[in-house]
Amino acid sequence: MLSNYRTAHFFDEMMEAEKRPRPHYEKFHRLLQTFSLEDLLEKHETAQLSFLRQGITFTVYHDEGGTERTMPFDFVPIIIPHEEWNTIEEGLTQRVKALNLFLEDVYNEANILHDGVIPREFVENNPYFYAEQATGLDIPHNNHIFLAGIDLIRDQNGVYRVLEDNLRNPSGMSYVFQNRFVMRKVFPEFFFKHSIRTLEHQFSYLHSALLSHVPINSVAKTYPVAVLLTAGIYNSAYYDHVFLAQQMGIELVEGHDLMVKDDVVYMKTVRGLQRVDIIYRRIDDDYLDPAEFLEESALGVKGLMEAYRKGNVAILNGVGNGVADDKAIYAFVPEMIRYYLGEEPLIPNVDTYFLRDPEVREDCLSRLNELVVKNVGASGGYDMLIGPQASEEEIESFREKINETPEQYIAQPTIQLSRAPAFQEGRFYPCHVDLRVYVMSGESTYVLPGGLSRVALKEGSLVVNSSQGGGGKDTWVLREEAADA
Amino acid sequence: MLSRVAESVYWMARNIERAENNARVLESRLIHALEVSDTGAVADGDWEAVVEICSSFEDYRDIYDDILPETVAHYISFDRTNINSIVNCIEYARNNARSAREIIPQELWEILNDAYLTIQNQNQSYWSMKKIYAFLQSIKTLSFTLQGVIESTMLREGAYSFIKIGKWLERGEKTARILNVVCEKTQEQEEEIQTEHYYYWLSALQFVNGYDAYLKKYPPIMDAEKVLHFLISYHQFPRSIEYCIDHVREAVKELEGGKVSHYSEELFDALDYVSNEFTKIKFQQMTSEEIGPFLDRFQNNCNHIGYVFSKTYYLL
Repeated sequence: MLSNYRTAHFFDEMMEAEKRPRPHYEKFHRLLQTFSLEDLLEKHETAQLSFLRQGITFTVYHDEGGTERTMPFDFVPIIIPHEEWNTIEEGLTQRVKALNLFLEDVYNEANILHDGVIPREFVENNPYFYAEQATGLDIPHNNHIFLAGIDLIRDQNGVYRVLEDNLRNPSGMSYVFQNRFVMRKVFPEFFFKHSIRTLEHQFSYLHSALLSHVPINSVAKTYPVAVLLTAGIYNSAYYDHVFLAQQMGIELVEGHDLMVKDDVVYMKTVRGLQRVDIIYRRIDDDYLDPAEFLEESALGVKGLMEAYRKGNVAILNGVGNGVADDKAIYAFVPEMIRYYLGEEPLIPNVDTYFLRDPEVREDCLSRLNELVVKNVGASGGYDMLIGPQASEEEIESFREKINETPEQYIAQPTIQLSRAPAFQEGRFYPCHVDLRVYVMSGESTYVLPGGLSRVALKEGSLVVNSSQGGGGKDTWVLREEAADA
Repeated sequence: MLSRVAESVYWMARNIERAENNARVLESRLIHALEVSDTGAVADGDWEAVVEICSSFEDYRDIYDDILPETVAHYISFDRTNINSIVNCIEYARNNARSAREIIPQELWEILNDAYLTIQNQNQSYWSMKKIYAFLQSIKTLSFTLQGVIESTMLREGAYSFIKIGKWLERGEKTARILNVVCEKTQEQEEEIQTEHYYYWLSALQFVNGYDAYLKKYPPIMDAEKVLHFLISYHQFPRSIEYCIDHVREAVKELEGGKVSHYSEELFDALDYVSNEFTKIKFQQMTSEEIGPFLDRFQNNCNHIGYVFSKTYYLL
């Protein structure tokens, strides 16, 4: 089946060498041989249809409006051995802990800036630094990061590195569960032979982490009322919102379902107003409260921030988190870990060059064709240059952009992202992958076993974002006992 | 339950019911067109009635000059500019369901979404009457399936009541509208011979799938008075106006745990008012001149119930 599969000079998740799988993929590889090509084609088709039918879609916006699309699913899973997962788990717990301390710090004493560990302007000029709105807030557990999505990649040596932190509204958790669900339905055979960490009961952790954020003035401390605030059915991640609300058994509300009276937040129900204690919001800070952010926002709730400030409601994730997950601050996270925790980072970053520095800029501009350039304020794979794959014109246009606003850009060496086999159009070919791991925090921190493996299905492409043709894979974390079995 | 979500499921139910009713009206007209020589002024008038029942003849006239069976069938089934076209009803219902996904059964969503996707992927512009006929049947089956899922899986809680209220209100209003249009037609043709009337009352029964049921109770003579009684207040017929209104009241009562509170008083009053009207007409003979104003009043009252209902549960 994989006889023509070439790993080339990339790190391959599954194949150690031509025709030889890595030890933890051996069983899977053997099972794969038992299917005919027709079987695989049929199963592949069944899986795609299942997503469409269930309406597990995201919306892509273009000139003529929005189109609902499913994320293509690839059935070759990413399998992670037990010990490797332990490192990821520890490393990400450490990282999120430091990031949270950083947020608590910059919105209070700002010691890290006084001590010169991070240059002041990186924080103060950051468009997502909401000093006015978020300084000095007393929030439950001093926790700003209820749910984080940390994107990991592996380089050509198989070393895991953090590519990006998502501390605002990390989407995609529903796909972790749906990928598993579809995989179980379409390939039950695989699950008889493998002992993997289950995804059942994971929502009890998320739910109790959520409810642990009871605001001080809540009148229902034992049974606080929590809601998920969505932008509505036209939001690209609407399915994610539906899924999370459903699984946690909380109301899915839109901005106009809520109102603030005397600094207390209520939702409008068929029985009148009901007090709300905790809001897990999935809309950006800018839209949260027209009284304090964008005035024209129709998605938010007027007066929400004042209710938050008074301790009458909790808002998760915290307001102003964007200052900690932008692409420039990213470069300082290893320093944060040393500064706040006195520990060495367990999972390294990708090297990052600041183009605001004239010397660095000169060096980078002279070799744009080998670098990845990113806009520090963009996400979703937009405004990004992948040097080795770019045309002369694209490189020139980035050169201009960098010279115009150098502080807006960072550069990174092009990492040879690891690859894994994907089955598309009737054959296996290697595709680049990354892994988004979800970290939830309340009274304690918990890492969801596995995560969302994203795959760049366009052959040779490095962009895994679903808005740009990326797909998903199931991610298996092997149980300890399975390692020797 | 959030008011917005209540509103969504209420409109979902109305849109599903509307799609089914419009499909049935058009289907029954198509069958009839196949059975009789179907040309001339009478036939035009019949197609006009169908448009008036399923949407608005005035709107239709804004786009088309002719009343051709194909044009009407396409207008009612597929025209995106017709807010009551069947494909629009299905799309609205699907979007209503989508914004209430977390509280409706997964299967309900999947079936509705599946139907929506199928319709989206079709190009119906050149469909023949035969294909449209099959489409109409599939819409009826869709509605039956969805109602089956609702009945067999939904918790008997708030959302269920709102679905029921939407469905019964929509159904009652549609029966009233059919009678209204048919009454107008019979008046227009007062001079014509009785057989023409026969035909109109027959089609009224067919539009609501009540012909077979009617035959079980009355001889196959289309007596205006009997048909009217049957469709307005025959309590054993599940599309009679009285039956529908009684079920709206039952669903509201269920929602209120059997009690009338001060905030729901106005709603019960509005429902009582309509019921009393029925009691009155049961004991008097109405001519077709009198029946028109009665049906107009009834449709206004239904709108009023819809309004008070929305106000009571903060859906406005």
